[in-house]
Amino acid sequence: MIGVARLPLLLVPAGLFVLAIYAWPTLLLLRNGFNEVGPTGAMIEAWSLKTAADTFADGFTFELTLNSLQLSLSATTIALALSYPLSLFLFRTNSRFRGLLAVIAILPMLISSVVRVFGWLAILGDRGLVNTLLQSLGLISAPLRLVFNWTGVTIGLAESIMPYMILALLAGFGQLDRTLEEASRSLGASPLRTFWRVTLPLSLPALALAAGLGFVLSMSAYITPKLLGGGRVFVLATEIFEQATTNTNWPVAAVLAIYTLGLLLLLLVLSNLLARGLKR
Amino acid sequence: MSYLELAGLQKRYGSAVAVDDVSLSVAKGESVALLGPSGCGKTTTLRMLAGLIDPDRGTIRVDGSEITKLPAHKRNMGYVFQSYALFPHLSVARNVAFGLEERGVGKAEITRQVEEGLALVRLSGLGGRRPRELSGGQQQRVALARALVIHPSVLLLDESLSNLDAKLRDTMRHEIRSIQRSLGITTLFVTHDQVEALTMCDRIAVMNRGRIAQIGTAEDIYERPATRFVAEFVGRANALPATRDSDGKVLLWGASQPVAAPPQGEFDLFVRPQRMRLVPVSEPAGGSTVRVAGRVLRSVFVGDHVEVLVEGAGGQLTVEMPSGTTAPAEGAEIAVIWQAQDSLPFAREAA
Repeated sequence: MIGVARLPLLLVPAGLFVLAIYAWPTLLLLRNGFNEVGPTGAMIEAWSLKTAADTFADGFTFELTLNSLQLSLSATTIALALSYPLSLFLFRTNSRFRGLLAVIAILPMLISSVVRVFGWLAILGDRGLVNTLLQSLGLISAPLRLVFNWTGVTIGLAESIMPYMILALLAGFGQLDRTLEEASRSLGASPLRTFWRVTLPLSLPALALAAGLGFVLSMSAYITPKLLGGGRVFVLATEIFEQATTNTNWPVAAVLAIYTLGLLLLLLVLSNLLARGLKR
Repeated sequence: MSYLELAGLQKRYGSAVAVDDVSLSVAKGESVALLGPSGCGKTTTLRMLAGLIDPDRGTIRVDGSEITKLPAHKRNMGYVFQSYALFPHLSVARNVAFGLEERGVGKAEITRQVEEGLALVRLSGLGGRRPRELSGGQQQRVALARALVIHPSVLLLDESLSNLDAKLRDTMRHEIRSIQRSLGITTLFVTHDQVEALTMCDRIAVMNRGRIAQIGTAEDIYERPATRFVAEFVGRANALPATRDSDGKVLLWGASQPVAAPPQGEFDLFVRPQRMRLVPVSEPAGGSTVRVAGRVLRSVFVGDHVEVLVEGAGGQLTVEMPSGTTAPAEGAEIAVIWQAQDSLPFAREAA
């Protein structure tokens, strides 16, 4: 038997692992942020705030932040609107295919982002499924631009975060007891009124949790904005990659990365507070 | 004219029959218990009444109009759930107000009726609390008030006391019964607890395997069980294997008894243990008493009575004596007697 006092010992392996693969690299990143870039583009070892100051003085950083927030907001909203009814159905159904349906719902999670993006290109491209269909029906004459722009990125991102949001919703539905809906109906509330007065209020904590998760995942997504954006979509994640690899400007990349990390942590805290407040 | 009328209700789940041809008439203001073991179909029957399950066959009428196909929210039935099903995100007062709000009752009127409802279940002043801040008994009362303020045509109680501890259950039993009586509200009460059924209801419908085995007053059910199942399920009973003698009388433990045996088939004689008396072996049987002889195996003191286990030629039986009387010593030779009319022969079931 393990005494309660010794239980923290069990955390040691995981703690060391996190320290090695996460905390240490993050510290290195932080250190890089204090370095400067010389006129030739070479990195100069330093302990200065010049890089950070320059980065935040640049209007582009602000624009990137707005782009990221806006994209995450739209993708999360779309994904939530689609995931909520789906999760509610999965949570409720007595179908013997329930397990299978749940696996199908989260299956996209198991597919590489790159493969998924090419799938979307085949569906949304100028000669893709949607455009071909609409053109053959005579609804449009020229193809709609659905990829290599914000539309394509939003669609692709919404789809990629849905499985995570479905899982979060299913986990958060704990409080949702079918008897409560039956009670509501027995008291004279129609199914629609019951949804509005009982189901929705009781699923708010789950919705907040899923929204927070979806938002954070959208903010940190790189492959989807990069590939479906076709070089025309600029967000924090793509810019960090650009600075770190193409420009090999590590100090700026580090500053932006730490900044994004801070934003994400703030958002997580806010969504947790919201979820807790709603659970009250 | 009955107020609530169930006719030929049936519900199947695949090949399993949950409720099979249940018919029941309840008068206005009457309180009827659906009593039976779990899985007997009593809750399914109640849920069909509330519109939470659609029956496959049969009709439900309330006050002359058929409601079989009416959706749950248009039925005006007060349903008290086993788990209470209080809305955790609403205050106690809002819980009670829920049904009134759905009916479009004015704000001032709602406030008045909610206060009245809470007073009825003795919870005045707790309207501002959240359900989880209340004890189990208080939650139960909120659920009752919530179901009562809508002035339901029928009050449906689903195992409503089974989550309370024994003492609270006693209190709530009397409380619900007196509220039910004072409001004159027609009530259907589902329970597996016979004490609840016997004390809270005017009539009892004993259910078994989706059917009603017997309907009657508490006394009917207890004294004159219609089937072997009812005799076994309600109260305690000795089931004594018996045979038929040449005169068509019951032959029990090697002695002919003044009780007519059923004309054919194997049967057991059912006798309530508290109807039996222990007498000295020397005492003869009267003309209308059953008498068997045996030996005391052991006595168990149970508080309000003493159980005496007697073994004889035909097996064992249990006699209940009021506590305070002296139980015979273990191993003592003794006779057991009871009134012939307290013996109920029922055909033996195939094992």
